Amino acid sequence: MDDPRNRQYTNGEITVFWKPSRCIHATTCFRELLEVFNPGRRPWVNMEGAPTRKIIEVVNKCPTQALTWKYNADLSREEQASLKDRQEAKAEVTPETLTEEAAEIKPATVRVMRNGPLIVEGEFKIIGPDGNQMKTLRMTSICRCGNSGSMPFCDGTHRKIGFTDFNG
Amino acid sequence: MSERKATFRVNRGGPLEVTGKFRILDARGEEIEKEGPVYLCRCGGSRNKPFCDDTHKTRDFKG
Repeated sequence: MDDPRNRQYTNGEITVFWKPSRCIHATTCFRELLEVFNPGRRPWVNMEGAPTRKIIEVVNKCPTQALTWKYNADLSREEQASLKDRQEAKAEVTPETLTEEAAEIKPATVRVMRNGPLIVEGEFKIIGPDGNQMKTLRMTSICRCGNSGSMPFCDGTHRKIGFTDFNG
Repeated sequence: MSERKATFRVNRGGPLEVTGKFRILDARGEEIEKEGPVYLCRCGGSRNKPFCDDTHKTRDFKG
């Protein structure tokens, strides 16, 4: 049941839970708060990077609950017990390594996610509708469902509207 | 094969135009296209996903 890739991170006040299997690369976390959520770093979550209330705000925006949080006072005994070994940086799965072609690729890689966005990673640039280059990280996700609230990027709306690759 | 860095051009109300060095993998991880330019559907309505088939023109897609 419990995915061994799951991780917990704490700043002593709250604990953030990371469930890689739920991540759809909406990239909300690291677009909003790179100081805390940085897939290029190990561990990829740095709980000292921002105040607790800011971390809570961004975790709450995760469209799939791949990221969740709890006050440490509310942790179950099991969660407290696993806090220690779940923080280790070794062999950590991040939103980046989840898409297995990680660092070395030179050509950009575009992954078509089933019923979801395009995940773009590697070396690339994005030119916006106004003709200007848009700021992006090494990885970003682009809306395919046509309904994102933060075009051209994915914001998880495809799940809410039941977007599928198959036309009815 | 182009030697330029991959470029993704977001066409207003239209598809994503991809040029330069890139590769596209489908949902199973298999490579489906190598060279550009390639036009990828952004409106959600193409019947040839992930590619554009001009359906956006009939959908009033603004994104």
